[in-house]
Amino acid sequence: MYEEEIRALSVKLLDEVEGVIGYSWGTLPFRARPFLCQKKEDVTHLVFNHFCGSNLARYLLSGELKEKKIAILAKACDARAITVLIREGQVKRENLVIVGIPCYGMVDRKKLEERFGPLQPQDFEWHLDSLTFKGENLSIGPFLEATCQRCLHPNPPLYDHLIGQEVTYIPRKRWNNDALTKLDMVSREERWAFFAGEFEKCIRCYACRNSCPLCYCKECFAEMQRPYWLSGAATPSENLFFHVGRSLHMAGRCVECGACERACPVDIPIALLPCKVEELIRGNFDFEAGIDPDKEPPLLTYRENDPGEFIR
Amino acid sequence: MVNEDRWEPKIVAFLCHWCSYAGADLAGVSRIQYPPNVRVIRVPCSGAVNPLYILRALREGADGVLVSGCHPGDCHYLSGNYFARRKFFLLKELLSWLGIEEERVQFSWVSASEGQRFAQVVQDVVESVKRIGPSRKMVKEFLLHV
Ligand code: SF4
Ligand code: SF4
Ligand code: SF4
Repeated sequence: MYEEEIRALSVKLLDEVEGVIGYSWGTLPFRARPFLCQKKEDVTHLVFNHFCGSNLARYLLSGELKEKKIAILAKACDARAITVLIREGQVKRENLVIVGIPCYGMVDRKKLEERFGPLQPQDFEWHLDSLTFKGENLSIGPFLEATCQRCLHPNPPLYDHLIGQEVTYIPRKRWNNDALTKLDMVSREERWAFFAGEFEKCIRCYACRNSCPLCYCKECFAEMQRPYWLSGAATPSENLFFHVGRSLHMAGRCVECGACERACPVDIPIALLPCKVEELIRGNFDFEAGIDPDKEPPLLTYRENDPGEFIR
Repeated sequence: MVNEDRWEPKIVAFLCHWCSYAGADLAGVSRIQYPPNVRVIRVPCSGAVNPLYILRALREGADGVLVSGCHPGDCHYLSGNYFARRKFFLLKELLSWLGIEEERVQFSWVSASEGQRFAQVVQDVVESVKRIGPSRKMVKEFLLHV
């Protein structure tokens, strides 16, 4: 999708920037990977499709790119992450050319497999909000990643160039399939049974943290020696400690992109935790990360009438 | 293994230096009786309580955690407790959503002159934690099996 536009623009941009961060096809089908395009002859590798799930803002932080003038392809959540990074002083706005892409959502390969069995790329044709499987046209909604089904901001809030047309609907309303709300409806013990099972599975590889565009600490609390917050043992209690701790570090910063859970090798829907915190912040502190760069982040401010009934 | 018959809850209490710690002190010097289950840790301000302290106390085997600071408007550092309130709200809601018992982590405002109130808060916290029993969900596994 949009490939002609993206490639033509990249050729132009490469006159003024050192590279364009985008996506290319990976070695596996149904999987795109981040790609740094530095030569005009390489723009043909640039692609955009429903499998571009990694949040490219993450790559702005890598040492070699940090001080350079760079163009970056940005889905709505990538652009939100960039907004947070600028606000936090991690990247300079003047070093960036942001190529915004209105986003119809990323497709979850597992959902495709469940429905269609072993996947063959040639059986599929992809359109903005639908797909064709062996001639049959289907809505893309049921196959989207959980975080995309509950997305509230499909259009990038910040960009220099915009590819394509803005999305005209709110995905959360249209797909009406919010994993958080589903969990809200079950009892506390059922939720615990679910999460305990997930924390049991976690191997603490930190792929979730490492793929998150906003987990950029040079020394993460998970690996600190002083204080020695938690051991490296991947036991359920340590895993819960890590994930609750990380979710609180993301409070008011998580852009709900789902990159963390896409990266998880054991399929833990780990974005549920930071997204739950964002939902609490949205409802109680009237804030959304990466939307308005001038708004004070929620934990750096307070209101006298904040919720306080839980305090004796 | 915890012996359930003789079990007494262990409560870790983070008390701010200026209000709640002084309130606890007043309870002491006034000879007000309250349950001996709390282990007090003095902190400069409720705003200085990193949520990781609370998680860590629970993981190390505390059955409950109490965090107590100055009443809103009374913070020695003017607004530390307002910032704390936001953090604690998120921590409490997240833990409860994950399925942790609400009673495990409790918060109060107790001023330096409220010795009686401090004793009452501790009484209430200990009783509520006794009702739900020993902590299991967040404690290090090997502590549960020794
Ligand atoms: S990526 Fe998955 S397995 Fe790895 S630490 Fe995160 S949740 Fe655990
Ligand atoms: S915590 Fe997960 S969903 Fe939130 S910004 Fe990081 S990668 Fe995205
Ligand atoms: S989990 Fe916390 S300490 Fe670790 S990288 Fe993320 S924000 Fe930093």
